[in-house]
Amino acid sequence: MTFCEFLSDHLNQIVLQGLALAVSALFLLSTGTQPGVVALLSLVLLLIFSAAQAAEFWKRKRRLEELYAVMEGLDQKYLFSECVPLPRETYERRLFDLMGRSGRAMIGAVSNAQAAQREYREYIESWVHEIKAPITAAGLICNHAEPKLRRRLLQELGQIESHVERALFYARAESPEKDILIRQVALKEIGDQAIASHRALLIQSGIQVETEGLEQRVYTDEKWAVFILSQLLQNAARYRREHPADEPNAGEGAVTDKPDAGGEQNPRIRLKARTLGKLVQLEVSDNGMGIAAHELPRVFDRGFTGSNGRSRGGSTGMGLYLCRRLAGSLELEIEIRSREGEGTAVTLTFPAREIRQE
Amino acid sequence: MQKIMIIEDEPAVREELAFLLENEGYKPLAVTEFHNAAEKVRASAPDLILLDLGLPGRDGLSICAAIRRESSIPIIFVTSRDSTVDELKALSMGGDDYITKPYNIPVLLARIKTVLRRSGGMGEQELIEACGMKLNLTKGVVSADGKTVELSRNELQILAYLMSHAGEIVSRADLIDALWDSRIYIDDNTLSVNMTRLRGRLEELGMAGCIKTRRGMGYQL
Repeated sequence: MTFCEFLSDHLNQIVLQGLALAVSALFLLSTGTQPGVVALLSLVLLLIFSAAQAAEFWKRKRRLEELYAVMEGLDQKYLFSECVPLPRETYERRLFDLMGRSGRAMIGAVSNAQAAQREYREYIESWVHEIKAPITAAGLICNHAEPKLRRRLLQELGQIESHVERALFYARAESPEKDILIRQVALKEIGDQAIASHRALLIQSGIQVETEGLEQRVYTDEKWAVFILSQLLQNAARYRREHPADEPNAGEGAVTDKPDAGGEQNPRIRLKARTLGKLVQLEVSDNGMGIAAHELPRVFDRGFTGSNGRSRGGSTGMGLYLCRRLAGSLELEIEIRSREGEGTAVTLTFPAREIRQE
Repeated sequence: MQKIMIIEDEPAVREELAFLLENEGYKPLAVTEFHNAAEKVRASAPDLILLDLGLPGRDGLSICAAIRRESSIPIIFVTSRDSTVDELKALSMGGDDYITKPYNIPVLLARIKTVLRRSGGMGEQELIEACGMKLNLTKGVVSADGKTVELSRNELQILAYLMSHAGEIVSRADLIDALWDSRIYIDDNTLSVNMTRLRGRLEELGMAGCIKTRRGMGYQL
């Protein structure tokens, strides 16, 4: 509270006091009191009034500072009215009572909303666990089908499974501390699990997965890391180009069926790990459709599908969004680079190793 | 024949799993009542138990504890609960492995095989013989007529799969599936390249024509 604010609040009081002073001075003068006495009396009264106003100003200023300090120190700001020292003045006490009632209503609403959200999360989790039983059964039943049909059904089941998994992790991302367990894991283990969870899709897409340097070990939560990696693999498989090498060759024609270019011509994904000091970087790169430069900054946004997603359909815009949320909870850095028509590379940087493990 | 007990409340999963295990050459024992599971284990003495964690009425963990009190039969937990805490709890209760649903079948079978081998049920098959060739999986060499050649990892897995299905027609898709099971993630073109190389190696042994190409169907040894 500044002095000017105080003055403007108390302007009418001050004006009234000034007027009263002037009127009494005039009255005393007209009834024959000596001007010197009147001047002295006015000066004394003026001093008393000013001192009273100044005292009031300091009192209010201190009170406000105290309240602001309480607010600053609060973790949940809406609990303010429960935590302030009670005022002595009746008027202020009434105001606090009003504020307190509004605050308590808010606390009730907030805790109801929290409880509803928690229940919803629990329901999603139990639903996910329930749905897994029929998916498992369907997978086993597929064994009776002839191989071609079986592969196609397994691929579709794989899709269902990955949607379900995404719902589970979305629910878990709300309160990550409940599920994360940081342990030492080999990148190879994470890579193999992620590949295994989407193998039907990857094989069906004719994709070759190359790995390099995955014997590195990192400290992270295995399940969450597998989930993040499998989202990236899914994207690479979905946004592949059927004939990646078409464009560069288009000019010369003539050259077809180069004997050793097998790896370059077909969709491929490369998982490559390297160390940067104490950090471990895992790069997931593909030779797929790539992402347009102007869309690149938004790919981690919730619900962003982009032109690739729209043209192919079935994109939810949740995969990369979840990746970044989960990566944030794991203290993983996630970066994406891409060139339209050439491919995409996502780099995951795992946090430094624990010192005591040296 | 090794007996595998299935303790699982979902009827469809239980029956299909039993069917699958039977096809794989195991003897499945499906349990439908769970409160006295431990006595059933004692009575039928299986070589391995597949135990669901989320059973109605009784928790899989308490069944595991009851079984562990009297025997050390290997137990693989199969569950749709996949939080890390559940996994740690299960393994600390004396489970030998932990698989989450929905599992893919080759992975499940491989885990079963590993656990059975660890418990001393059977030795690893490291030598395959077919068509007059001997394939040593641990050394990664194939020999015939006293000659021996070394194979790369990819070639080894391809030949192993063909030899263990000697006489049958193996489609390219089956081969790719089998290779992905062995964590070799190759596509169709690379399979062709590897196939050509493998044939070159076998030529050195004088077995040039032993892998026949069946047009439109696949390969046959």
